[in-house]
Amino acid sequence: MDAAHAQSHDHSHDDHGHKPSGIMRWVKSTNHKDIGTMYLWFSFCMFLVGGVMALIIRSELFQPGLQIVRPDFFNSMTTYHGLIMVFGAIMPAFVGFANWLIPMQIGAPDMAFPRMNNLSFWLLPPAALLLIAAQFMPGGGAGVGWTMYAPLSTQAGPAMDLTIFAVHTLGISSIMGSINIITTILNMRAPGLTLMKMPLFCWTWLITAYLLVAVMPVLAGAVTMTLTDRHFGTHFFNAAGGGDPVLYQHIFWFFGHPEVYIIAIPAFGVVSQVIPAFSRKPLFGYASMVYATASIAILSFMVWAHHMYTSGMPVEAQLYFMYATALIAVPTGVKVFNWVATMWKGSLTFETPMLFSLGFLFLFTLGGFTGLVLSITPVDVQLHDTYYVVAHFHYVMVAGALFSAFAGIYFWLPKWTGKMYNETLGKWHFWLSLVFFNVTFFVQHFLGLAGMPRRIPDYALQFAEFNMISSIGAFGFGLSQLLFLYIVIKCITSGEKAPDKPWEGADSLEWTHLPTPAPWHSFETPPVIK
Amino acid sequence: MTSEPHYDADFAEAGAEFTYFRRHCSSLDWRLMQLVFGSLALFLTLVAVGFAIAGAWLVIPFAGVEIAGLGFAAWWTAKRSGDFERLALDGDRVIVEIREQGQSRQFEFNRCWVRLVSGNAGMFALRSHGREVAIGRFCSEESRQTLARELRNRLAGHRF
Repeated sequence: MDAAHAQSHDHSHDDHGHKPSGIMRWVKSTNHKDIGTMYLWFSFCMFLVGGVMALIIRSELFQPGLQIVRPDFFNSMTTYHGLIMVFGAIMPAFVGFANWLIPMQIGAPDMAFPRMNNLSFWLLPPAALLLIAAQFMPGGGAGVGWTMYAPLSTQAGPAMDLTIFAVHTLGISSIMGSINIITTILNMRAPGLTLMKMPLFCWTWLITAYLLVAVMPVLAGAVTMTLTDRHFGTHFFNAAGGGDPVLYQHIFWFFGHPEVYIIAIPAFGVVSQVIPAFSRKPLFGYASMVYATASIAILSFMVWAHHMYTSGMPVEAQLYFMYATALIAVPTGVKVFNWVATMWKGSLTFETPMLFSLGFLFLFTLGGFTGLVLSITPVDVQLHDTYYVVAHFHYVMVAGALFSAFAGIYFWLPKWTGKMYNETLGKWHFWLSLVFFNVTFFVQHFLGLAGMPRRIPDYALQFAEFNMISSIGAFGFGLSQLLFLYIVIKCITSGEKAPDKPWEGADSLEWTHLPTPAPWHSFETPPVIK
Repeated sequence: MTSEPHYDADFAEAGAEFTYFRRHCSSLDWRLMQLVFGSLALFLTLVAVGFAIAGAWLVIPFAGVEIAGLGFAAWWTAKRSGDFERLALDGDRVIVEIREQGQSRQFEFNRCWVRLVSGNAGMFALRSHGREVAIGRFCSEESRQTLARELRNRLAGHRF
C-alpha cells in the first residue's frame, strides 16, 4: 500500500457492517447523515402536530358561529400552530438538509463539531415537549399568537413560561447548528473548492447561518424580558411601570423578519439544485444568485417595521420602511429570473422534484407579489391583521418553503436511501398538494380584502362560503401529506434500487463522487476539485 | 493559519516502503473567518447596544455569549487547521510525524522492536522502549482498523 493507495478511500468498504446499531446509534450519533435523518423525521412529526392544529382551526372556521372549540383554545391553536410550524417543522427540516448535504457537497467527512451537532438535535425534542405540554397547563395554552406580543404574553397563564423556555431551547439549538455550519463551510471544503465553486445550497446555508447568529440573541433577549416582566418585577414592556409594549414589537420583528428569510433562503438553495438538474443546464447566473441571496439577507435587517405600520410611527419612517421593503423585490426578481433562464432552452423533464420546484417558483412568486402589495403602507393599514396577510405568508411559507422541502426530499431520497420512490405516487402528491393548497389559501386573499380579521374563531356571515372552501382545501391538503408519508415509507422499505446517479443533470459532489446510497463515512480523504 | 505539513529529508526518500498521511480537513481562510466573525461581532454589538439604549438591555448578555461562542469555534477551528499525521516504514525505521495545535513532534522507532498496541476508544498506538505514540487520529474507526491490519502485516513480515 503506497501513499496514494493509503489515501484513496474505498467507499464500497464503508457500507459493510461497521455502523452502530440499536437506539444508541441515534442517541449518541455524531454522524452527519444520522443526525440529518433525525432532523427530517422530527420535522415531519412536528409538521403533523402543527397540521392537526391547523385542521382544528379550519374545522372551527368551517361555519360561522362557535362550533367546536372554545375561543381561548382556538387562540392557543393559532399560537402553537405558528410556533410549531416555524420552529419545529420548517426550520429543522432545512437543518436536516444541511446536515445531510453540506459535508457531502463540500467534500468533508462530517460537520466541524459533530458532538455539538448531536446536542443541537437532541435539544429539539424537549423543546417540542414543552410546547405540547403548554396545552395542558392550568388555563390551557397561551393564546398570544406566535409573535408573543406584550402585554398579552406578560399576562398569560403558566403555559407562557413553558413557551418561553421552549423558544430559548430552540434558539440555543439553532445557534449551535449555525456555528457548526459556518465553521464547516469555511474550514472543511475540499481542496480546490473555492467559495464561488460551492453548490448554491451551501451558499444559501452559509448566509442563513449568518442570519441566525445575527438575530437569535435578539429573540432570546425579547422572551427573557417577557419572563422577567412576568415574574421578576421588571417593566420592560409594561407601560404602567414606564416600559413600552411597542418596544417588544420592534425587538420581535427585528428577529422575525430575517426569520422569514432564514426559512426561505435554504429553500432557494434546494430549488437552485433541482431546477438545473432537470433542465440539464448549469444554473444561470451563479454569481448573481450568490449576491442576490446576500442582498436579500442584508435587506432583511432593514425592513422589520413594515409589520408594525398600524402600531404608529412617523410618516418618514413609514416611507423608509415601505421603500426598503419594496427594494427586496429586486434581488428576489434576479433569483426568479435566473431560475426561469436556467430552464430556458433546457432539456426539461418533469419528475416529482422538478414539479415541486416549479410549484415553488410559481406560488412563491405569487406570495412575493402579495408581499409587495402589503409593503405599501396605506394598503397595509387596510389589510393589516386580515386574512390577506394569512394568505400571503402561507404562500411564502407553505408553497415556498414546504414545496421546496418536498422537492429536496424527492430529489435526494435516492441518495439517502439507495432506493427510488414511486414516481406516479410522487406526482399525485404534487398535484393534490398544489390544488388543495390553492383551494385553502387563494380564497383567503378574498376574505382579507373583504375585511375578515385573522385569529378569530367566529366571523360575519358574508365570509361563510370562502371559509368553507378554505376548510375543505385544508383537509385535502392535510390528507395529501399522508400520501407523502406512505411514499417515503414505501421507498425505504420496498423501493426499487436506485442507480448511482438517478438524475442525469445532477452535478454536485454527492452525485458525482459518491455512490448511492451515500456511504456511512464519506470523503475521509477529500476529493480534489479542479 | 493553515500550514502545509513539513516533509523532512527522511520522508522524501522515494524508497520508503509504506507511507501513510492524513491531515485535519482544512480549507480555512483565516482572513475570511476574521471577516465573518468580525462583521457578526460588530453587527451584534451595534444591535445589542441599540436595543439597550432603547431600554431592552437584556439583549446584551445573549449577544455577548453568542459572540464568545462563535469566537471560540473560530479559534478552535483555526488552531486545528494545520494538524496532520504522517507515518513511514523505511527499511529498519518507523518514522512518525505528528502536528497538533501548531506543535510538531517526530518519533523514530526500530522496526524490529516496535509493537502495535490497542489504546482507548478504538485508537491504537506504536510502542517501543517505553515510548508510545497514538496513530489514526484523523480517520474513521474502520479506516483505522484497515491501517492497523496493514501495519501489523508489514511489521510482522519484517521480523520473520
